[in-house]
Amino acid sequence: MLAYEENPDKVERADLVVGIPSHNEAKNIGHSTAQAAKGLLDHFGGRNSVIINCDNHSEDGTKEVFLQTTSEVPKVYLSTPPGIVGRGYNLKNLIAKAVELQAQAVIVVSGDLNGITPLWIKNLGEPIFAGFGFVAPLYLQHKYEGAVGNSIVYPLTRALYGRRVRQPIGGDCAFAANLAETYLTHPTWNDTVAQCGVDIWMTTLAIYQGIPICQSFVGRPKNHQNDGPFVPPEPAFTHTVGTLLDLMMLFQDFWGRVKWSKPTAIYGFGVGEVETPAPIEVSEDELHQGFVQCFDRYQQLWETVLENNIYNKLGEIRELPMAHFSFPSELWARILFTYSVAYKKEVADRQELLKSLLPLFLGKTLSFVKKTERMSIQQAEEYIENECMIFEETKPYLLGKWGNLS
Amino acid sequence: MAKIMVVDDEEHIRLLYSEELKEEGYDVSTAEGGYKLLERIENEKPDLVVLDIKMVDYDGLDLLQDIRNQFYDLPVILSTAYDTFKEDMKSIAADFYVVKSFDLTELKKKIKMALEASIAS
Repeated sequence: MLAYEENPDKVERADLVVGIPSHNEAKNIGHSTAQAAKGLLDHFGGRNSVIINCDNHSEDGTKEVFLQTTSEVPKVYLSTPPGIVGRGYNLKNLIAKAVELQAQAVIVVSGDLNGITPLWIKNLGEPIFAGFGFVAPLYLQHKYEGAVGNSIVYPLTRALYGRRVRQPIGGDCAFAANLAETYLTHPTWNDTVAQCGVDIWMTTLAIYQGIPICQSFVGRPKNHQNDGPFVPPEPAFTHTVGTLLDLMMLFQDFWGRVKWSKPTAIYGFGVGEVETPAPIEVSEDELHQGFVQCFDRYQQLWETVLENNIYNKLGEIRELPMAHFSFPSELWARILFTYSVAYKKEVADRQELLKSLLPLFLGKTLSFVKKTERMSIQQAEEYIENECMIFEETKPYLLGKWGNLS
Repeated sequence: MAKIMVVDDEEHIRLLYSEELKEEGYDVSTAEGGYKLLERIENEKPDLVVLDIKMVDYDGLDLLQDIRNQFYDLPVILSTAYDTFKEDMKSIAADFYVVKSFDLTELKKKIKMALEASIAS
């Protein structure tokens, strides 16, 4: 899907590639580029490096800002054709170019970060040269940031595949050459991955391939300059969860044999930076309305998909006053497991299924917000860890409903 | 019979853990601290390590990081008198943690889970 390349420095080989995916990031990409360049010079000065902006044919001057950013590190600009938008397309172009350049390591950082420092490049890149195949980010993040990751992707990925990658859709990561080749040719690539499903796709493939994984603390909170809404837009939600469920069907032979979970190696501590993440405003009313108001729309589908006791429990939760609102973690685990089985068996249209999960997720998120409102970040992390254990303990329920695993 | 290495600078803890875990059928060895610990792990090849966090001469969390980097999937259970260690993100490299107690029920449960996870993955 590559339509355009500009390689003013005529780069033909590189040991290390820093990729910056973008779509209309003219205001911000200069900062990410400058920080990446400084990180490469400060920490990988002896290596042959390049910075690649993989863009979605932005019309706001992203390309010009990127190429004009002063840097001693050579730069390459890549773009999809006009009208082709998706972070996955960007990353596919990046990976193809990295393979062409015979890069040993690829680091990916978003184009809209104001929290990025040169240390990010060091901490994401060094584990690859130390022998790890995939590096996931560890951010100090606000307890309400990354709600889809916290309530769905992390617990489900961990319970299924047995590896604890705390931020599996963090977006910033690094990977080695052999994994880049895998990404480029793996048959599980599809249009959903090409949109917002690419991050969970990359993490899941790394786990599935048995690649040694490291989680790296990048030293500062991840602050996007274009912070999105607390509640994810429906397409981003359905692409991410849809990819997760698609892979679940394909990799059932793997996760069916996994019991409990294991940690990964970690890297990047002692950076000396302690910074409080920016506060996130949450509208409890908006979450509550999002949950309650969809009962009429999805009642019939939920009755079809969910067991009676689960559906009835949802009805009870709906009637709870806001002050006592609670969505039990075990119920949530059972709902996600039931949905994954319904998705596999196509009990209903898959897109409609994914859409109908969003209001339930809003209810679960409201419950998380209420339970953790007086908690510190660390206490909220413990709460999430406990929820993950509930998912692992509830996995036999999934295995019982899933059917033939071979 | 799974081999468990108990790392703690307090002798009475090493003795307690060793006796109780042997009664459970495990093959138990003990170590006082960090000096040459990685070498011992390399030589003895335990199936699981129970690691004290606060030792006089060693930081258990630093040791944990070294173990994880060198022995990627070796299960490690952190053993601690206080749970304030959880404020340090390094602790996430452990499989589990237990608060020290003369009742080892929780430790035995976590050892069983960690060993099962090893087998599955």
